[in-house]
Amino acid sequence: MSDPALGLTMLVLIVAAIMMGFPTAFTMMGLGMVFGYLAFYRPDHHWLQNEVFDLFVQRTYGAMNNETLLSIPLFVFMGYVIERAALVDKMFFSVQLAFRRVPASLAVTTLLVCAFWGIASGIVGAVVVLMGVIAMRPMLSAGYDVRLASGVITAGGTLGILIPPSVMLIVYAAVAGQSIVKLYAAAMLPGFFLTALYLIYIVGWALISPKIAPKLPPDRYKVDVPAWLKSLERGRAQRVLGGLFGALLRPGAAPAGTTYFTVVKNALAASIPVVLTLALFAAAWWYVVIHNAPEAAPAPTKPAAVQEAPATLPEPPGAAPQGEKEGGLQELGTAEAQVEGGAPARESGMPEEVGSLQALPVEGAGQVPENFYAWFWGLAVLSALVLLVYYLRMDGEQLEILKLLVESVMPLGVLTFIVLAVILFGITTASESAGIGAAGALYLAGMSKYPRRVLWSSLVGLLIGGGLGMMRADVVTVIVSASLGAVFAGTALPWAWDLATNKRLLRTIKESTFLTAKTTAMVCWLFVGSALFSAVFALHGGQQLIEKWVLSMNLTPLQFMIVAQAIIFILGWPLEWTEIIVIFVPIFIPLLTHFNVDPILFGTMVAVNLQAAFLSPPVAMSAFYLKGVSPPHVTLNQIFAGMMPYMVIVIICLAIMYVWPGMTLWLPEFLYGR
Amino acid sequence: MNAQTYLRFADRLSTWSGKTFAWLIVILMLVVSVEVFKRYILNAPTAWIFDLDAMLYGTLFMMCGAYTLSQDGHVRGDFLYTNMRPRTQASFDLALYILFFIPGIIALIYAGYYYAGDSWRIGERSNVTYEGPPVAPFKTVIPIAGVLVMLQGIAEIIRCIDCLRTGAWAERTKDVEEIDVVEEQLAHSEFVDEESRRAAIEQAHNIDEAAHQRSGTKL
Repeated sequence: MSDPALGLTMLVLIVAAIMMGFPTAFTMMGLGMVFGYLAFYRPDHHWLQNEVFDLFVQRTYGAMNNETLLSIPLFVFMGYVIERAALVDKMFFSVQLAFRRVPASLAVTTLLVCAFWGIASGIVGAVVVLMGVIAMRPMLSAGYDVRLASGVITAGGTLGILIPPSVMLIVYAAVAGQSIVKLYAAAMLPGFFLTALYLIYIVGWALISPKIAPKLPPDRYKVDVPAWLKSLERGRAQRVLGGLFGALLRPGAAPAGTTYFTVVKNALAASIPVVLTLALFAAAWWYVVIHNAPEAAPAPTKPAAVQEAPATLPEPPGAAPQGEKEGGLQELGTAEAQVEGGAPARESGMPEEVGSLQALPVEGAGQVPENFYAWFWGLAVLSALVLLVYYLRMDGEQLEILKLLVESVMPLGVLTFIVLAVILFGITTASESAGIGAAGALYLAGMSKYPRRVLWSSLVGLLIGGGLGMMRADVVTVIVSASLGAVFAGTALPWAWDLATNKRLLRTIKESTFLTAKTTAMVCWLFVGSALFSAVFALHGGQQLIEKWVLSMNLTPLQFMIVAQAIIFILGWPLEWTEIIVIFVPIFIPLLTHFNVDPILFGTMVAVNLQAAFLSPPVAMSAFYLKGVSPPHVTLNQIFAGMMPYMVIVIICLAIMYVWPGMTLWLPEFLYGR
Repeated sequence: MNAQTYLRFADRLSTWSGKTFAWLIVILMLVVSVEVFKRYILNAPTAWIFDLDAMLYGTLFMMCGAYTLSQDGHVRGDFLYTNMRPRTQASFDLALYILFFIPGIIALIYAGYYYAGDSWRIGERSNVTYEGPPVAPFKTVIPIAGVLVMLQGIAEIIRCIDCLRTGAWAERTKDVEEIDVVEEQLAHSEFVDEESRRAAIEQAHNIDEAAHQRSGTKL
């Protein structure tokens, strides 16, 4: 017995049960069971011999074997560990110094830190509460407009669920049967584009009416330069590099008030931008010339990317380490090098399953895309020039800021960059890079509690690894084994020491583990429920009925897209993203082919759309989180008023994405082909 | 055994099993990292690693279902729900536990039992690779997880009845929550003043609750 009417009843019942607030996973299991039993019921069979039982258990087992969902616990775990390891207040402080001369600098900083920290963690409530405590008061006491201050926190806080590595995109990939890698590549540009639109809005508003974001009094962003460093500054421009270099050459005569060791440390910190740039270019070179040269790459060289990329560069923070406009430029230059230089080789690569990679069977050995060398060296020269200017103009203050950034932003930046780079360039699968990311997060957690111990252990590991690598006299092996040794020793030794003695890290890992268990169980049980529910729904012809109904309306693709996004937008008010993606999005997916909408584009647009849904008054939870930590004079209405413009920006972004699908689809097509 | 003893027993069982199996995530992370090292650096990939990863992940989430239920961690459409009175909440919950939860989970246990039983009987092996590892233990996770969730579900039903009688929900066991990160981040902050730090840490849980209720008055 199967009947479209029963299918529709299911849909009505599920909506009703969700409204009543019953755990959605079990609602779907129960409904799927009952209606599935009816569908398969045969009067001549024993009542326990019903095929719905087989369907249910096979769907469950399917979810337990789902390779896409496998990355969820790993990414979630990585997020929870990072949340506890990367101190967001330090990050805010140092980024604020770096951007001190930009209009509305506090708001810009808030947005960047929210986006950056959200990339790693992605839990809206926690981000908004934390930034509310850390950034709201400084902004209000600096005389910022309440709407500006609250809007930027709430809008920034939701960015984390969009920009990869985001769990929402994994769930969509599992629901829609798309590859995570492609979705990540697709969400990359819109994510940064949306962030850029937010920034333009903030800076533009501050430029038009400067009174909403008064300039900070100079003492608010004064950087303390230690006396010895000041003594090294030369000339009226207070350039510091020459003096520092001079001091480095005279180990016997350290400047008054310091030790030679401190001088070395400062010099090392000053060299970080160069090291990151060099590593990035080396990685791009390795990727194009060695990694993608078929059969030319013996296995031991492969890790070079995995390991060299670490030193590569922090993406969003990357803009920060340099702290100055030049720095930003240099950053752009190098980032471009990564994309322009790194990717063309893959153009001929076919779309890969989940990115597991063999050397590509491109025509001819050692194929390097044309113009690669021109681009590569051109960008290298450009970056070198930018770095040169940056260094020549560096004064003591900038060196101090650089040190702060290196400490607070760089570690997480490098980790995020590696995790994304190895996925996007198809070096490892999504779950593998999630695993590396989680291990890297443990390294960061160790570093947040014991910075010295981690550095020394890493150094020891570096030497041992390098020594072992010497056994094979080739540079790549030495570099790889040295960096592997550093990461391994830097993680394992401090953790072992901590767990054996004062157990400060135990709480971090316990909390992260248990939270990961709960989140994973929540998402995956929901998936089990929906797997059964959607199978039974389709069995009753409910899906078909909806399809027929939608097709009978003769919508144009544009109308369909608007209707679909509007429905999802409205669903985003009362529901969490998990429920929307797992229950309601599957209803639209079969329709996409009728309207010639790319499922990847659709998924990315849903992710962007939910940003707006989570910012819409009067239901947006972020507003209430922010209200909870704001001073009493900030009203909910002010917060909502601050959020409204960002909703409009999201909708503009959606429109641009639809009109110009290239923005979303360019990167995945570029990297993996059509 | 009276109802309260059972409630405590079920909560403890679920929490214990959940927290034990939660550690599989650390093992999974180690296994994945080691495999990355082996595959990409030693060029010696392991054939059965896909099965192992899936087993660790599948066992992790199935066995933590009861723990999540005992912490009320399964996502619900809480928009209307959180604004109802406890008695109304309990009556809806009770009805739906009996209507949806019990048939669903009983079916899972029943079907999983025979599914795993068949697998044990024929000595089934994974077909991802030639001569893959045996999958019967992995399939056995289904009925076991089903039983655990069922036991916890009965505890939840008792909670509902309890709430219907007294008009208030019984306290749940304290456990780590997402919002706890606020404390961890701010506890040693040098850049936030003492007072707002303390206020935020103390208020974190109330804020979380109020945000879910979308209630401006409770803040």
